[in-house]
Amino acid sequence: MLASAIPWNRANAQNFAGQTLQVWSCGGLAEAFMQANQIYEEKTGITISYTGAFAAALGKSLLANGQTEVFAGRVLKLAQKLRSADKMVFFKPLCFTQYVMITPKGNPAGITTIKDLARPGVKVVLAPDASPPGGAAVLKMLEKTGVKEAALANAVVKGSCVQQIMTSIIDGTGDVAVVEKRLTRIPNFKGQTEIIPLPDSQQPPPPLPFTIGVMKDAQDPELARDYVTFILSDQGQACFERQGFIPALSAKGQELVEKLGVKDV
Amino acid sequence: MSEKKNNRLVPIRRAVQGGMLLLLGQWSFYGLFRCPFAVPFVSCQNCPVITCWGRVTSLFWGFWLTLPIIGLLFGRAFCGWGCPGGLISQLSAKIAPFKLVGKTLFHRVAPYGKYLALLTALALWLFLNNPRWAIPIRIGEFINSIRLTFEHAETAWLVRTLTVLSFITAGFLFSNLWCRFACPTGGLLELFKRTALFSFHPTEQCNDCDVCQDACDMGTRPAESNCTNCGDCQSACPRNAIQFGRLKRKQGKNLLD
Repeated sequence: MLASAIPWNRANAQNFAGQTLQVWSCGGLAEAFMQANQIYEEKTGITISYTGAFAAALGKSLLANGQTEVFAGRVLKLAQKLRSADKMVFFKPLCFTQYVMITPKGNPAGITTIKDLARPGVKVVLAPDASPPGGAAVLKMLEKTGVKEAALANAVVKGSCVQQIMTSIIDGTGDVAVVEKRLTRIPNFKGQTEIIPLPDSQQPPPPLPFTIGVMKDAQDPELARDYVTFILSDQGQACFERQGFIPALSAKGQELVEKLGVKDV
Repeated sequence: MSEKKNNRLVPIRRAVQGGMLLLLGQWSFYGLFRCPFAVPFVSCQNCPVITCWGRVTSLFWGFWLTLPIIGLLFGRAFCGWGCPGGLISQLSAKIAPFKLVGKTLFHRVAPYGKYLALLTALALWLFLNNPRWAIPIRIGEFINSIRLTFEHAETAWLVRTLTVLSFITAGFLFSNLWCRFACPTGGLLELFKRTALFSFHPTEQCNDCDVCQDACDMGTRPAESNCTNCGDCQSACPRNAIQFGRLKRKQGKNLLD
């Protein structure tokens, strides 16, 4: 049971059976939403029409003429912008991403701390040109720990895609990479790398939080609210935890909510 | 006798194409409209698009392991018998008013467009690490996903996609324009064709009347450049001078040169 999970009433949701709800989310949450949507559909008879893609792109569409009923995006500012633009009715904290180090199976280079990325001869895999969570955020972490220049010098791959980082570590091209934990839970990559946790002090500054909110375009706002309540219930949040996120309503999530100020305006 | 054989061949080919459409159609669709990479179909192991068949099944590996074998055995037969894009081109060629059949400078030079497309694709894939030119819509509704992909794609992706679409659409006017002059996979298989074991080819009875070329939607003669081993030419030959089988090396060399 999560510290602050919201109780969800299945009987109430069944009042909406047969309806369809359109949900958009950041692509990084897709695996978790697919699981959660399946449970929600099975329990309620409601159909979820789901789109998962780069949140900034979806947000840009929503701020222009795009329409959806529920939106779960990365970056607090995006949710705040949607609220200010009167496109979103409310939002709540959903979950937080976290970063880990990965190595090939057996950890052949003996990586133990982030400082090892600066060790001569260690083959580092980076994706500086990937979208900010996989590119800029990781570089910021390396800078924060004082290993950025040495790690860049050790880089054997400087790509533009975080999924490519995973394959470069799995096939042994590189010895170590810093990635979002969620990537290690994607079916194609699960169990194929060693995972070394990083302490809170080395996690990057935001964008860590994901939010979920009901949009003004929701045809049935009560249905949209019910879905959000389900996602923030124990069952819904468990899907996000399984996929490597920190549920917003867990004890650690609540700490981050306060620390990062993830609150509706 | 050849007439009877041909009558059986066309429905068989259409049945095979139908089966391949079921197998590869969705992957082809994703490759054209939703693949975020500069060169589709070659980076599926890194692709974040969850619902693409190239990624969720072993289609990606199976296809690229099987294609060279088909090429070595039957040359460009994949184009004529298996490619969903080839099927669209063939069907549109049936109503295309301009067959582009002839032996002018254009007919000699334009087929090299395939090799140019192949070189461009190889350069983007191998030397530029197959850059991502569009925002991947990881999962989403059919129309909405295409709309979002186009809405947030880089100019290079739009140019790439609209170029391919233009060639395919122009195929309704000019017979098999994409397959004959621009398809990089066609260019690759054309290279394999030079050493392929089996093909439709003319026999010693051939008198170069070119009736087969007039009958061919690809505007070519059996075993020559752009022949996809579809077999449509066989019934057109007034001398029954086209057969399927192993090409004698000397004969093949002359024809392919």
